[in-house]
Amino acid sequence: MKLRKEMGLIMAERKIDPKVLQRRINRVLKALFIAGTIFFILVPILLLFKISVSAPQDILTQHPPFLIKNFTWNHWKRVLAAGHIWVPLWKSVVVATSVALLGIMIAAPAAYVISRLPTGIKYGVLLAIFSTRMFPEVGIALPISVTFIQWGLVDTNFGLVLAHLIKVLPLMAWILTGTFDSIPKDLEQSALVDGCDKLQALVIVVLPLSLAGMAAASILCWLESWNEFTYAVYLCLADATLPLKTYYYVRRGNWFESAAYAVFLTIPVLIITFALQNYLKSDYLSGALKY
Amino acid sequence: MKRNLRLVLGLLILSLVVSVVTFSAPTTLRVIMGLAEEEWQVMREHIFPAFEKEYNVKVEAYQAEAQDTEKILEARVRAKRMDIDLIAQDNMRLATLVDRGLVEDLSDYRSLIPTTVYPSLIEVGEFNGKLYFLPYRPNVEIAFYNAAKFRQYGLEVPTTWDELFAVAKFFYEKEGVGRVAIKADLSPCTATHLFDFCRSAGGDPVVLNDQGCFEAFMFLQKLWPYLSPDSKTANWNFMNTHIATESVYLGQNWPFGMNVIVRDGGKKEVLAYNGWRGPVKESHVLGGEVIGIPKGAPNKALAIEFAKYLMSREVQEKLTIYNGWPAVRSDAYGQVADWQKPYFEAINKVLAHAEARPNLLYYGAVEKALNEAFRECVIEGEPVKPTLEKWAKYIEDNKR
Amino acid sequence: MAALKILFKRYKLEMLMVLPLIIFILGFTLVPVLQCIYYSFQDPLTGAFPTLDNYRLIVGSRKFGDALKNTVLVTLIGLSLEMSVGMMVALLLTTKSRFRGIFRAITMIPMGVPTIVSGVIMLYIFSSNGYLNEFLYRIGVIKLPIDWAQGGLRTLFMVAIADMWKVTPLVIILLLSGLESIPSSIYEASAIDGATRFQNFFYITLPLIKPFFTIALIMRAIDAFRIFELPMVLAGRNTMFLGTYAYSEYFDYNNIHASGAASTILLLLIAAFVFGYIMMVGSREVEQ
Repeated sequence: MKLRKEMGLIMAERKIDPKVLQRRINRVLKALFIAGTIFFILVPILLLFKISVSAPQDILTQHPPFLIKNFTWNHWKRVLAAGHIWVPLWKSVVVATSVALLGIMIAAPAAYVISRLPTGIKYGVLLAIFSTRMFPEVGIALPISVTFIQWGLVDTNFGLVLAHLIKVLPLMAWILTGTFDSIPKDLEQSALVDGCDKLQALVIVVLPLSLAGMAAASILCWLESWNEFTYAVYLCLADATLPLKTYYYVRRGNWFESAAYAVFLTIPVLIITFALQNYLKSDYLSGALKY
Repeated sequence: MKRNLRLVLGLLILSLVVSVVTFSAPTTLRVIMGLAEEEWQVMREHIFPAFEKEYNVKVEAYQAEAQDTEKILEARVRAKRMDIDLIAQDNMRLATLVDRGLVEDLSDYRSLIPTTVYPSLIEVGEFNGKLYFLPYRPNVEIAFYNAAKFRQYGLEVPTTWDELFAVAKFFYEKEGVGRVAIKADLSPCTATHLFDFCRSAGGDPVVLNDQGCFEAFMFLQKLWPYLSPDSKTANWNFMNTHIATESVYLGQNWPFGMNVIVRDGGKKEVLAYNGWRGPVKESHVLGGEVIGIPKGAPNKALAIEFAKYLMSREVQEKLTIYNGWPAVRSDAYGQVADWQKPYFEAINKVLAHAEARPNLLYYGAVEKALNEAFRECVIEGEPVKPTLEKWAKYIEDNKR
Repeated sequence: MAALKILFKRYKLEMLMVLPLIIFILGFTLVPVLQCIYYSFQDPLTGAFPTLDNYRLIVGSRKFGDALKNTVLVTLIGLSLEMSVGMMVALLLTTKSRFRGIFRAITMIPMGVPTIVSGVIMLYIFSSNGYLNEFLYRIGVIKLPIDWAQGGLRTLFMVAIADMWKVTPLVIILLLSGLESIPSSIYEASAIDGATRFQNFFYITLPLIKPFFTIALIMRAIDAFRIFELPMVLAGRNTMFLGTYAYSEYFDYNNIHASGAASTILLLLIAAFVFGYIMMVGSREVEQ
């Protein structure tokens, strides 16, 4: 009934203004696309959640139901009681956060310089830095870890942070180079004319403008470190990171507990991205595109 | 912001100090094992304390899967900073450890092995006449099957190749999709299966171009279309999933599957038996775990004592009682839990036909040849003989 | 030498800013990478160097040919899916809306899921009695389960889509930070000129976010070329990729030499792709 009314309304409007209809159709298409995307993203997570709160008979069958039939918190209780959560969680958070912060401190200045180089040299330098990421980790993770072990950094957060930095720095440098590329040189120049020295111009003019890029880069690197597995195998023995523990559950546990553990993992990620997304957008870069 | 940074840096330094301190503590025996949660509990409650008390040490045990143990040891040996005293390692992955020089030669300690330990379990740890590993735990694959489905169709479990083929074909024709699986993800799990098939046709998989191996590969080629498509992802881990979700009705896997499928998953209809014999004999690869001492272990003497303790009768009995593991020695009589009994029976039947794999330093080449031959003949349908000849030559070329 | 000294003196600050990064990265990785390449030219049995035997052996095998083909195809499929969907989502995220915050947070979730877990989730979906087949069965499209791991394009699409789930957020973040760095005054100006939405997109948006587009594309390409964990869970080692190849030679068959050779070939492949892309895009940048 309601629907018919709406249709009627649309029809009525159409007679008046085809542009309004066009806009409506666009809005519907857009809503459908968003719904589709959210569906695509959430379904795997929801399935995982479903598995983590279902009684075994709901999952271990040829034709599993899509909805939760026999609800139970038992798997969650067991995972929480096993005590593999808080210590690795804290470790992973500390390591990932240190990686993101240290990474910015090392990569941002370098990226600024690189972005001000002539195009040819710029890409040469970037590619040289990035070439280490082009090589499969299979062969190089071991010798790199050997160095850290020689330095006695086994089971330290510091060692792991250093190892992760090797992975994330090329990524950060490239993203930040792109960020600095998009900041007009004239702004700096005029600051220099106004009597700032190089460093002041950087801090006062360039830094605020690059905050959005830095936020994006640090989120990416935080997540990369959060998920890192290869170096963790070599460098963590006594206290594991979350991915190592997850791997343990997947390998040695049953389906339900590994699902519960995996769902639990996504919670901090949600919090971090929620908290940081405000920084993704700085004041100057008002991104209200006129679409 | 600044304070946060200081906090983080402070934490980093603190954790560095803490780890350095634990690193040099003298009375700690550091051990690596790959165990499930419940098995760890058994270790901590029933196995470690007695040893700790007797020798006044602290056993610190860490979790690592077999291939990660390799990585961990290799990195530490190369860095010349070994901090591990003892490992319990899957005997399927020993060649790499010996080949890369990651473990100590234990030939001098051969006399420590109790006389009642089954001889084939000692062979597993020998390479070129030297003893590198001490026996700890035997293991074999058993055949899990969904009894409800077999009953529904009035089928008996297959005990010969012909019956296996008939059952696979029957399910395929009845349900339109194969329900018998082998572990064909082409990982080392597949090579293990191929050992069973070749040997039970009288072949030697290390030679590969003998009559038995031809026969085995031809049988697999014939069987393949009727197998479950999930065979391609089945390894020791996902085989359990496929059986538990009733995508597969019959498949071989290591006995820990009973804990996951039956105890945790509640699939009581999944039972186990000893599997099928080939045209010549019944043969199963003898798997399990052995004890090794990493090269340069800081507390080697103590580690040897611990190894002795792990092989002792009381420990072996406890491992059977609490973990359902068969013992390495004939004089240990642990009783498994009631629900495990039928599975344990299957294990014992298989053990009677278990054969150790040859210990070759070029074992990687053998595994590769088996898997690649399997990919080419069985999955892609190439003719068996020339393919096996080709890969037999590959093994020959890579002999050391 | 003297010129270098002058360079140092003149750009002291710049050098101070860029050197820590370069020393850190190359200091740790250069030797291992070279070592790995060295192994690939070393004879596994005699230790002689240099020899092309390792390359001859793997390039000759059909398995390697398959791996190469699969790697290139899965990268092309994956990249086109990820970049186009990523761009659409990023564009949507720039429009003002009440739900933008939550939408953005949702799009980030998959990035926080470790690859091993995403592999397991995807196996629940794509295994032969997984949820996708179950869904198709319920709506009556299929009677018998589809074997997604069968090989060929079907499997490549499965791997690409499973991978896409996890990595598209990265593309979105990068494109979004590009889009948000475009001052709205530009669009105001073009609105005055009466530009259509498509003109806006192709003549203003796209050129302006090109640096970000390049970063996203290259970063994704590098990871897509090296893919190995996900296909190993979803299709075993039956559908080979170069990354899987290097992995299984090293960890399954204990052959660092063949693994090193596969890694080196992969490195060359990636370098060729990246270089080609930058040559193509970079030259156009100069015209601007």
